[in-house]
Amino acid sequence: MSEIPDRLNIDKKDRELYNKLDLEEITRFKDKGGTKTRKEQFIFAMAYAFNIGKKMPIDAFDGYFLEKDLHDDDRALIYAVAVYDTKSVEVLADMKAVFKIAEEYAHAGIILLANNKIPIGLYEIELEKELSGIFKKI
Amino acid sequence: MRIKRIKFKNYRQYRNVEIILKKKADNDVNIFIGRNGVGKTNILNAMNWCLYGDEPHFSKESQRIPMLNLEAINEAKDGKDQDVVVEIEMDVGNSRTYTFIRKATYRVYEGEILPKLQGSTFQSLNNDEKGNTINNQDEDAKEIVGGLVSQEMREFFFFDGERLDNYFKIATAQNIMHAVFVISQIDLLRNRIGKNLNSILKDLRNDTRKESPKIDEIGSALEGKEDELGKVKQKIEDYKRQIEISKEEISDCSDKLRGIPDIEALEEERNMLKQERKHKKDLLDKKKKEKQDCLFEYQKIFMLYSAIDKSILIINQKKRDKELPPTIDKSLLEEIVKNKNCSICGTPLSVEKEKRVRDLLSEIKLSSVISEALLKMENPLLTFKDKIQNFSKKMNNLTDEINDYIKNIDSSEQKISKIDKKLIGYSDEKIRTWQEQRRKHEDLLSDNQKMLGKYEMIEESLRKEVDELTKQYELELKKETKIGFIKKQMDFCSKALDVVNKTEEVIVNETRKQIQSETNNIFLHLIWKKNTFREVKIESDFNINLIHKMGYECLGTVGSGERELLALSFILALQSTSNFSAPILIDTPVSRLSFEHRVNFAKVLLDISSRQQTILLFTPSEYSEEVSKVLDLKYSNKYILKLKSNEKEIELEEVLNV
Repeated sequence: MSEIPDRLNIDKKDRELYNKLDLEEITRFKDKGGTKTRKEQFIFAMAYAFNIGKKMPIDAFDGYFLEKDLHDDDRALIYAVAVYDTKSVEVLADMKAVFKIAEEYAHAGIILLANNKIPIGLYEIELEKELSGIFKKI
Repeated sequence: MRIKRIKFKNYRQYRNVEIILKKKADNDVNIFIGRNGVGKTNILNAMNWCLYGDEPHFSKESQRIPMLNLEAINEAKDGKDQDVVVEIEMDVGNSRTYTFIRKATYRVYEGEILPKLQGSTFQSLNNDEKGNTINNQDEDAKEIVGGLVSQEMREFFFFDGERLDNYFKIATAQNIMHAVFVISQIDLLRNRIGKNLNSILKDLRNDTRKESPKIDEIGSALEGKEDELGKVKQKIEDYKRQIEISKEEISDCSDKLRGIPDIEALEEERNMLKQERKHKKDLLDKKKKEKQDCLFEYQKIFMLYSAIDKSILIINQKKRDKELPPTIDKSLLEEIVKNKNCSICGTPLSVEKEKRVRDLLSEIKLSSVISEALLKMENPLLTFKDKIQNFSKKMNNLTDEINDYIKNIDSSEQKISKIDKKLIGYSDEKIRTWQEQRRKHEDLLSDNQKMLGKYEMIEESLRKEVDELTKQYELELKKETKIGFIKKQMDFCSKALDVVNKTEEVIVNETRKQIQSETNNIFLHLIWKKNTFREVKIESDFNINLIHKMGYECLGTVGSGERELLALSFILALQSTSNFSAPILIDTPVSRLSFEHRVNFAKVLLDISSRQQTILLFTPSEYSEEVSKVLDLKYSNKYILKLKSNEKEIELEEVLNV
């Protein structure tokens, strides 16, 4: 059994991009007047990129939150992404690999989110539209 | 009698001013026009100060300003005296002239704001038949003024236009009774003869008390009760007056507030709506937040749906293949093969056993770590998948709730806006003052009515006690033969007092009737609506009634113009009944009248000026084009009052009537 990393990383350059999530109330960090944690923002970015099918390798690792902060449902999602991405459950025996996959999606996700052209304040409406679209497909 | 000249020296804004009031053939109307604050009313004050030594028509601001002209104060040197002088020359008929001069000397000290009064003098100058000048000082001069217009009567000659507006609005009966008593000059009867007789009666009663202890005892009790009764009667009169004032004030405030929205109630409703709006906004924010959190939560579920779904499928497949949950620990078998020793029993593995373990290991596809991970994933992933079913319903509910709150907030805002529209154009402060005034008087009325009832009961009880004690006292007097003479004197005094009281009643009644008749004549002569009113009545309780041609009383329903005219007619009737012939001076005579009534009233004043000197102090807005059309052709003198550039002195510009 491989060792479980104690933290999940982002790319060093991503910190600034994560700050852009604070511009929208829905994704704002709890210390900036919002309610979201670093972990939640990370999963949000990961899910965003996963939906598009884009992940990017990390150049410079920068610890973003601790593994112990993950709850069972967070782990379930991260594992599911890894299983889907590798098309094998074997990956679950290698937590480093699982987290790496999650980190690469989150890295791509935060770049995409930070560069979206949606005017500030309207992201929530766009998200609702997008989710409704996915719901219809499901 | 008319005023020919008024001369001021250092009197307030009037530094060195002389006003000559010439008479025109038909009308003796003298007009002064000045904006508020210029010093118009100080002409009225100056006349009062010169003739009577006081300034009764002061605004609160003026009371703080020294009488000595401010420029004169500036120019005065430290410790120097400066005089304030007002001089009035009066033509009293038969080519006789009186000049009244009042002088006050003030000393100005450097560094002190107010100059100090050093002394004052009052004198009157007139010529005797031989042409000699007679100079009367202080009390003698005062007596001469009293002979022309007594101090008690001056309020009916020199007054503010507001008085006309209020005369029949506040404490009407009290005002009329006061006026009738002044005109009747019953002071002599009431205060001198009546009081003297009462005093003698008291002394005589004291004399009788010396003769018998029983009489002394009853007399003393009687005296005490009579004193008490007198005080209670006075209290009853006070309460009655207060009740009347409160009723008039309530009615006056209600008139003013008629048609005006109830500001207080509206503001209360507005505050309530604002609170409600705030509460709804808080709930709306909460709901929006809830929706945001919901969207945030669904974002990961929806966007990771394919991963969730795939993992659930794999888990289900593994379960169907009985790979889950695991029966044998894969890592344990790997460890046994690696060590060639059984980790459970500790015995070394034979070749045969090792082969068996290796076969078993190849059959196990999942390690326990993976199985554990998959099993841990299952429930959360299923919960996520279940949540998807509720997405639409949950979002719709939240959206509906948010829309409801928005509608409610809009509705509250519309209501607030409606209230705001209602309140626009009304001076909150003024309306609040009227409402407060009305509430204050409603409370006062209620309190005073209770107190009146209480004191009327006390009065009745005291009267019975006094009657009873009087009977006992007289019974005792009869028993006592030694005091026959004193008793005769007492009877005489009592009878004399009855005569005084009856005489007083007769005089007051006659005066009242005379004033009623004069008021009636003047009012019906001056009123512009010739076919509306039948007569003016002053009832025995001193209430005034204006009788409509149709026979009903209508004073409460007539307009301000008619009401002020009635007050003016009453005042003119008082003047004529009093036999004093003095000029009439009215400050702001038409300020409280509507446009239509101002013109009518100007005509009335012009009519009056054909019989007596009329001095009118107008503001420029009062002296409108329409009013000037009536008065400009007929005035004797017209002065425009202006403040000089130093704002401490007034200058008069005479407008000649060509």
